[in-house]
Amino acid sequence: MKKMRRLLAVLACLGSFCAGAAYAADEPKEAPKDIVLTGDAKCTTCHDENDSPEALAIGKTRHGTVADKRTPGCTKCHGDSERHVKEAGRGGGEAPPVDVGFNTKNPASAEARNAACLNCHQGSTRIFWQNSTHSRRDVTCASCHKIHDGHDKVREAKTQPEVCATCHKEQRAQFARPSHHPVPEGAMSCSSCHNVHGDNPSQLAKPSVNETCYSCHMEKRGPFVHNHQPVAEDCAICHNPHGTNVANLLKSRPPYLCQECHSHDSHPSQLAGLPTGATTSTSLLGTVGRGCLNCHTNIHGGNSTVNSATAGRFRR
Amino acid sequence: MKNTTTTFRLTAVAAALCAAYGSAFAEDDEIRQLTKPDSSISVGAGFWSNDRQQQGIYDGMRDDGLYGLVDADIVKRDDASGTWFTFTGERLGLESRKFSAEVQQQGNMGGFVNYSRTPREHPLVIRSGLRGIGQDTLTISGAGANALPFRDVELSTYRDLIHVGFNKNLLSGLDVKVSFKNEEKNGSRHWGLGSQAFFLAEPIESTTRQLDVTLEYTGERLQLAGGYAGSWYGNHNDLVLATVRGVTTNTTGAPNPTPLSLPLNNEAHQFFLNGGYSFTPSTRGTLKVSRSVATQDESIPSILLGGVNAPFVGSPRSLDGEIVTSLVELGLSSRPTSKLSLSGSLRYYDVDDKTPLVGLVGSNTTRVATVHNTPHSYTTNTGKFEAAYLLPQRFKVIGGIDVKQQDRSAPKFVSERFVPFNEQIDETTYRLQLRRSMSDTVNGSIAFLHSTRDGSSRESPHDPEIFDTINPLHIADRTRNKWRLSLDWAPVEAFSLQFNVEDSHDDYASEDGRPFGLKDGRATLVSVDARYALTDEWQVTGWASHDVTRAKQLAGRWPQGSDEFADIDMVKDADLRDTGDSVGLGLRGALSDKLKIGVDVQWTRTESSYDEDTSPSTATFPTSAGVTAARLPDIENTLTRLSMFARYAVRKNADVQLDLIHERWKTDDWSWSFANGSAFTYGTTTDRTSVSVKPKQTANFIGMRYIYKFQ
Repeated sequence: MKKMRRLLAVLACLGSFCAGAAYAADEPKEAPKDIVLTGDAKCTTCHDENDSPEALAIGKTRHGTVADKRTPGCTKCHGDSERHVKEAGRGGGEAPPVDVGFNTKNPASAEARNAACLNCHQGSTRIFWQNSTHSRRDVTCASCHKIHDGHDKVREAKTQPEVCATCHKEQRAQFARPSHHPVPEGAMSCSSCHNVHGDNPSQLAKPSVNETCYSCHMEKRGPFVHNHQPVAEDCAICHNPHGTNVANLLKSRPPYLCQECHSHDSHPSQLAGLPTGATTSTSLLGTVGRGCLNCHTNIHGGNSTVNSATAGRFRR
Repeated sequence: MKNTTTTFRLTAVAAALCAAYGSAFAEDDEIRQLTKPDSSISVGAGFWSNDRQQQGIYDGMRDDGLYGLVDADIVKRDDASGTWFTFTGERLGLESRKFSAEVQQQGNMGGFVNYSRTPREHPLVIRSGLRGIGQDTLTISGAGANALPFRDVELSTYRDLIHVGFNKNLLSGLDVKVSFKNEEKNGSRHWGLGSQAFFLAEPIESTTRQLDVTLEYTGERLQLAGGYAGSWYGNHNDLVLATVRGVTTNTTGAPNPTPLSLPLNNEAHQFFLNGGYSFTPSTRGTLKVSRSVATQDESIPSILLGGVNAPFVGSPRSLDGEIVTSLVELGLSSRPTSKLSLSGSLRYYDVDDKTPLVGLVGSNTTRVATVHNTPHSYTTNTGKFEAAYLLPQRFKVIGGIDVKQQDRSAPKFVSERFVPFNEQIDETTYRLQLRRSMSDTVNGSIAFLHSTRDGSSRESPHDPEIFDTINPLHIADRTRNKWRLSLDWAPVEAFSLQFNVEDSHDDYASEDGRPFGLKDGRATLVSVDARYALTDEWQVTGWASHDVTRAKQLAGRWPQGSDEFADIDMVKDADLRDTGDSVGLGLRGALSDKLKIGVDVQWTRTESSYDEDTSPSTATFPTSAGVTAARLPDIENTLTRLSMFARYAVRKNADVQLDLIHERWKTDDWSWSFANGSAFTYGTTTDRTSVSVKPKQTANFIGMRYIYKFQ
């Protein structure tokens, strides 16, 4: 037992001496080792776990999957940044910036920043990025994406609206309305309807408003025996998808909504008002409850062949 | 003593070993923590003190009571093969649950399965005698002895979506992606009888399927994505028969039971090709082509009915509906100099409704089908051009023009036009913007947009003296002016401020002879956001917004049977206004290394007002059996929500979190009220379903969860 202890003590002292010697010796240095990405030693020699722990978090992301040979090293996105490498840490001043940085202090243009991403990610749903409104307004990929974060907020439904609301204040206000799509609840996200990398009108996921809405509301697609033309053309004529004060995302309340298109005799031209008691008069039921839709119940289109006065007017 | 000596010696050995090798192990562990994917599982329970009819519509916690709070985010990666194994579960203890499982060998192939349930709980309080809810045969409570027992009706719908996908890298840059979605919709939604204002519940049992197969090529200069997108809608019910109990009359005007049509099965098939080519690093062209065919050729169920509901002479058994949608788009973007950027696009979008025009309904006396279906086609051609020039100090000036020209169809038969139609619309939009971006302290923009919309002469509807006196909002001649100012100010890293104000004004032209419709629309928004980091641990955020949307609308009223403009008995001039005010405050901080806290306050108030002048001002509401109507009061909704959490690290890899929420919703929405504020009731002798809104909804929540973290 004693021998064993002595042996351990000798080993310990030897180990301690060797370790110290390794740091102290003026021997030729071993090439710095990569920490996370292939070739990252050029950067992580300085930006290590003590200096930039958040930078190393790239390892938690898809970019950090080095088994995938397509994944980049630091310089693939940030440029070779030779001046930064040479001059950083020398003298008292601030180090020159990297060639392509993504913080507010870096002088790289929006195009240069986006090019760092598009070199690999130009395909798929980002083919039209350069013609998108976002691109043309100097929104960069890094304006929305946190590349070094394992949980990129904008890619998760429950946190994505927070990122979008950084600029889209009107939509944030609309989602606080009583009638809204379940975006604040996390059941949907902005990207359920929008391809923010595309160039469709309003950067929608599909070429038109209706094609986008039909993805979930396919029962409205028809064609119907009795089409309601504004419905067939653009859901947004009557609905605001982000939120309104009226049930079912209606922009305005019946009968006002209907009277934006329909000038009519009889009950369709009624004055908006609440009945003073129970009634079956259609001249008094255009506002209360579902308003005009109390009777014109198939307003998105009907398939009835029963009666001209009712079927063609979306009552059957 | 001996023991002490031995212990001392062993400690010395251990210390020496640690000195030599310990730091290396610790360093490895730290690197691992910083670079390997994180996982967590959270399990707990929460309790709501009251029902939340309004706030609980979608979140799966509408009723008071105990709820399971289970979330999981498990992410594992096999570093050797680059294969990810992920499982994400959100709200697994609630109706609004969703989860996703994925296996992905990065750069090679992968697949996923997602499931989500989206509930929609109807917020209204309904008490009805209606029988058969959820089925296609419904019975409405009759009068007197035919009345059915009343009970509380809670309408809700559920969407259960399963989404599976697969992707495979075939060659360098060449990938195939397959995605299939199957969504089952169940439940019932608020509906109506149609011929009379009675309460019904529409059964929505249906299945939606979507298949997307995409082949993508991503090269250095050329990128292509093409494939097929198919979608199918299948309704489990196609016709509802609604019977008013005890009513035996079987007239043409109000048959009993009343047949009510439902959406019929439809499908669409699309082929598409998207492409982009970078001619140079700064010049890129794009192409987008797609063609889809949507059909609806189910047998029309009401065609099989007899008696007064029997089909009209010559009406077909099926609509044979077909809509062909074509899209071609060419785009070009270029940066000819380092300061000048140009972009433009030409777009052709054609919706061609090829459904044959057939007579389907008509006079109940002659049984001749004189009323046709109404296919609607339109073609939109759009051209856009924009130039941006970089000025000193990172300022940029942007100018653009959009030209849109639309050809539209109108119903062939004048007798089937109920509003004026326009066969062509032209719209030109000019945009000008000055912006400063990418600066580290002050960024912002000021933008102005001006557009004019007009078109060809109108296709008049029948009864033109009255029906043709309006400009429908989506085709009306319109001048739009919109401006927006946004400013981001970050004088120091710890503080940032955002200010945003925008105003949009639509001026609708009143053409000669068409005085009615929207006259004027305006939307204004002002918002401020701020963030201040007090220390590394403590941060406050706040935002406030105020918005007003206003529409001025003119309409006429004519007595029944009028066909002359001069018969007008009232001109209605409405000033409709929606106002929204919201304030949000947030605080995040750490009371110690182990204890983090957060507080959020949200307050939102919306108000809708319905000012309306009538001419002559003495004009009154119609009267029916002693019932009149009263002018509309304003509606105010207020939501106040205070939420707090405290998260305590019980171990290095485990936290416990306490959540507290106080939520108060208040409304005076009269949508389901009579003029005196009492609950709205359908019918006078039959039905008698009552519907109301609960005006004050206050609920408190307490939740506790255990969060286990691992890698």
